[in-house]
Amino acid sequence: MGPSSYTTHTANATEPTTHAFNTLNKHTFWRGIKLGLPIFLGYVPVGLAFGILAHTQGFSLIEALVCSATALAGAGQFIALATLLAGGDALTTIIATGVVNLRYVLFGATLSPYVRTLKMRFLPWIGYTLTDESFAINVADLRAQRASAGSMTGVGFIAWIGWVSGTALGVVCAQWIGDPSTWGVDFAMPAMFAALFVTLAENKEHVLTGLCAGALVIGLALLSHFGIAIDSNWFIVIGALGGATIAMIVFPHTEESEQDLSAGEELLVASTHAREGDSE
Amino acid sequence: MSNLSHTTIWAVIIGMGATNFILRFVPMAALSRVALPKPVMRWLSYIPISVMGALFAKEVLLPSTKYDPLFANPGIYGALISMLTYKLTKSFMGSTLAGVISFVALRALFATLGFGA
Repeated sequence: MGPSSYTTHTANATEPTTHAFNTLNKHTFWRGIKLGLPIFLGYVPVGLAFGILAHTQGFSLIEALVCSATALAGAGQFIALATLLAGGDALTTIIATGVVNLRYVLFGATLSPYVRTLKMRFLPWIGYTLTDESFAINVADLRAQRASAGSMTGVGFIAWIGWVSGTALGVVCAQWIGDPSTWGVDFAMPAMFAALFVTLAENKEHVLTGLCAGALVIGLALLSHFGIAIDSNWFIVIGALGGATIAMIVFPHTEESEQDLSAGEELLVASTHAREGDSE
Repeated sequence: MSNLSHTTIWAVIIGMGATNFILRFVPMAALSRVALPKPVMRWLSYIPISVMGALFAKEVLLPSTKYDPLFANPGIYGALISMLTYKLTKSFMGSTLAGVISFVALRALFATLGFGA
């Protein structure tokens, strides 16, 4: 039914597979919802903590909700509260959160080759709901050649619902809810990252790259013992940039590995079609 | 209660929302419509695993940036169980739940035994 129907005979072989990748229907959307459930589990308690804190700092229910619904930024929103509490004005606060959220530029650049064949109309929502966690889930799913417009939309949706509903819970019933960390939900995101590490580590090179990035983060934290304090919000960006750069230098790149990369995109759409084509 | 004005709050909400959307959407959308040079693509291909290694180190090995003794950190074991569960089930939700449950159980056990803080 899509735009590909009138180009069938003139277009190249990837045309119908691009169509499958661009599918947003009940089936693909629900797949994304299910995939993103661990994010929901992790976001509700952190959103709740934000709701409680925002409310005690003078945010109304509507203000806290709109803030979470539009910013969808864990660390960024807590930094905003801290900056405001320290007497910062609006512009200082916006700049402080923007700096912390610069990592989204890196995430967006990383996702860009994968979403090349995705129609532009899907990108605003996927961008809007881009967080550490949705990035991790979607990139693993894209590399496994299973992702689609619908699944990525669903992952973003369930993450957004978790963050906003957690915030609402925090503002409305702070006094009836104990410390959520006693249920261990603060470990939900680390546990998910551990599983994602396994799925993203496709070969020895990847394992070493990941370990290298992790070691960099530990090193950055240990620097504080020598009087060099680096804001822990920078750890992820420095670790990721450092890990990838070291991998780039250390691992020799062969002709085949370059071909693999350029072929990756066609492989991606071809396989998406193979897996989801029957649902068309 | 605080002397934070609602004008300031709304200015922050609007500014932060707009900034975040630009940072998230523009680079992804713009770069997805151009062909990136191969070395850049190769470099970017190492980013996801590096992000995961960095997140893992920050969240599991450095909880709240204080250093926990390695063997008294229930997070390490919770993470290993999550990884193992993923190997066996290929389910993110299953491994997240297995990780959380074992984390809670081990934290209680370690507290009883008097490990760590």
